[in-house]
Amino acid sequence: MQELPIVKVDRIIESDHAVIDGIDISGRWNRMFSQRAITEYPTEAMDWVTGLAGGESLRSCYQCGKCVPVCPVQHVGNYGPRKLNVKVLRGNNLLDDPDLWLCTTCGNCYRVCPKEVNPLEFMPAIREQAVLEGKVPAELQKVFENLQRQGNPLGEPARRRADWTADAGVPVPLISELGRPVDVLWYVSDYTSYHPRGRDAARAMARVLTALGVDFAILGAEERSDGDSARLAGEAGLFEMLAEQNIKTLRKYRFNRLVVMDPHAYNAFKNHYPRLGWEGEVLHYTQFLAPLVDRIEFRSPVELEVTYHDPCYLGRNNGEYDAPRRLLEAIPGIRLVEMPHSRSNGYCCGGGGGGMWLDGFVADHVSERLSERRVREAVATVGMDGTGILSVACPYEPSRFEDAVKSTGNDGRLIVRDIIELIDQAMQPPAP
Amino acid sequence: MPESVLVVGGGPAGLEAAHALAELGARAILVERRPVLGGTPDESNYAALTPHLGSAQEALDRLRARVDHPNVELHLGSTVTACTGSVGDFRVTVAGPDGATRQVEAGAIVVATGFSHFDPGRETQVYGYYEFPDVITLPDAEKMLSEHRFVRPSTGEPPRSVAFIQCVGSRDRRLGNEYCSKVCCGVASKEAIEIRRLVPEAKVYIFYIDMRMYGYWENEIYWPAQEQYNVNYIRGIVTEIVQRGDRLLMKGEDTTMGRPLEVLMDVIVLSVGMEPSRGTREIAGILGLEANKYGFIRTPGEPMDPVSTSVPGIYVAGAAAGPKDLEDSMNMAGAAAVKALGAIRSGAAAGAAGR
Repeated sequence: MQELPIVKVDRIIESDHAVIDGIDISGRWNRMFSQRAITEYPTEAMDWVTGLAGGESLRSCYQCGKCVPVCPVQHVGNYGPRKLNVKVLRGNNLLDDPDLWLCTTCGNCYRVCPKEVNPLEFMPAIREQAVLEGKVPAELQKVFENLQRQGNPLGEPARRRADWTADAGVPVPLISELGRPVDVLWYVSDYTSYHPRGRDAARAMARVLTALGVDFAILGAEERSDGDSARLAGEAGLFEMLAEQNIKTLRKYRFNRLVVMDPHAYNAFKNHYPRLGWEGEVLHYTQFLAPLVDRIEFRSPVELEVTYHDPCYLGRNNGEYDAPRRLLEAIPGIRLVEMPHSRSNGYCCGGGGGGMWLDGFVADHVSERLSERRVREAVATVGMDGTGILSVACPYEPSRFEDAVKSTGNDGRLIVRDIIELIDQAMQPPAP
Repeated sequence: MPESVLVVGGGPAGLEAAHALAELGARAILVERRPVLGGTPDESNYAALTPHLGSAQEALDRLRARVDHPNVELHLGSTVTACTGSVGDFRVTVAGPDGATRQVEAGAIVVATGFSHFDPGRETQVYGYYEFPDVITLPDAEKMLSEHRFVRPSTGEPPRSVAFIQCVGSRDRRLGNEYCSKVCCGVASKEAIEIRRLVPEAKVYIFYIDMRMYGYWENEIYWPAQEQYNVNYIRGIVTEIVQRGDRLLMKGEDTTMGRPLEVLMDVIVLSVGMEPSRGTREIAGILGLEANKYGFIRTPGEPMDPVSTSVPGIYVAGAAAGPKDLEDSMNMAGAAAVKALGAIRSGAAAGAAGR
């Protein structure tokens, strides 16, 4: 039998009940195919997007396609930055398009874009309009509400933000109780404060700072989410509210510098708080510790092969690749091995730009999570005999990658550790 | 004998060559078919020049003023009808406007007889240039733009939508014009900018196979057209134009989308390419110059010598040698002038040495 050709169409319309010229033609064969031909090139969508503050660069795309192969999301689906320009140029304003929520703002397309088309700017701009129209995926909306009410995305009570300190094993002073200036105000961040797995990094950090004799304190219950991922997910108003709360708090205290655990917080304080009135020195914790590395007293070698995942908002989007590696290389026993996607071409974990809160939504449009692809790359780099470590420097990642280790069937084959956890581990006395 | 060089053609290349020769102390005999100087930019009513959008007439006026020079002998309304001799000793018959002929002597010749715009009546697609008043060409648009207006020819009203179709008459084996005409992407983008300036409410589209914006034209024309003037570039070419009501229905493929396109437009501008002008074809025969398969004058020394023809002592400048932009034409004019004078002087020196 001759095979019928497959005709690709955008949409198939099939009426339950179809009557034409008085004749009932209901049935499977009443299929209508939507118009294949493009009959209009409306310019309104592009004019609208480029009229938004931040939307300007979308028009500049000349369809070279360099962005597509480096976009992590296109590896797992049909999304591609180039295709956004195509859609908008043909009348789709993206407000009802799932593509609007697939971009993690990892910035790898912007890195290679000859025309400087920048999703870090146009995505938040368009998403903000979707937020205003109430066109936000439900799970993201829930996180926005958590941020609004509790000041953190997990919906935990604000007053319990410093609960993790009870198990740190060292005193963690609150700046409000110290009553004096400190050298380092440590901004702990959301997942480090609340997430059961994230807290491990907070406790390790407390022990390392104490061992180094750093004069530090935390904000405790006064700390609010930095708001950066909410901003990138389109909630500019929420970002400003959180930023203003944090700035008000920061202004109450005297300190020399702010040290943050979360690259997203680093991005916020460094690049976006200044326009809201706060300017001060902010360091990611790896940047703070790297110059002090010679003072760290390591007592237990970590005889493992370690690879390092560059967080998008520490590496590519803020240019810090070396500090985390200096720390890893200083830990005795560690052999640092790079993954094929590293440094400026680091592969996104899928958590940025709101992706952390869109896993359910995104799953309908991708073949696998970005964290799963990254874990596969890590396994291919450090092996799967259980002695390899995927090290990270972002609080989103330990839980994301550990989930991905399990879902890719690599349970027990790959260890995920924040760098601070590895430092803390190597500073402990050797096991007897 | 005086250092005389015949320059055939009074467009930008010919004017520049004549001026350069005069400045070098030679005598330039400039023969121009039309009663005025300026060539195709003048004859085809160019409004603004690519890429900087300066006035074409002002630019031509500057060139014209420079041949108002004691060393330049002008023959307007005149054509070259015959030529004998060889380098150092050409004898050329020039027919004047009254039909009278005269002999001029020249040691060398610069041919600057230019191009003509492709006639869309020859197009293998069905664009209906002679059928639909609202299907026009780049020079037709230039004419309107030079009058500071842009309207639908059928109604006299400003258009709501304007589409440029690229590569009309170029890059086409079937037409025999296999070459890229080099300037049309830039000129279309330049006209698109002018239309957006004159009729801001009009949507302007450029349908292309690939945009060929050489050198600085990329950032000086293409990018501003797209980024500042919101000209919409759609990759895909049009195969057919039909009347639909009082508008034009354009049929083609949107190759980015992989879907057919059937879009209504008010005005469609055919980006016609370059072909050898009648003058170029004729002068090649009269001077015995080899032409290439397209009828342009062959320059066998390319790429290092883009101005020497197959005949010693005869040089070519501008679009008589193939698709050239104005920068090319002006560069060639200078080079041709220098080589022409050099040929005379080295011939004279050789003659003196042999005596």
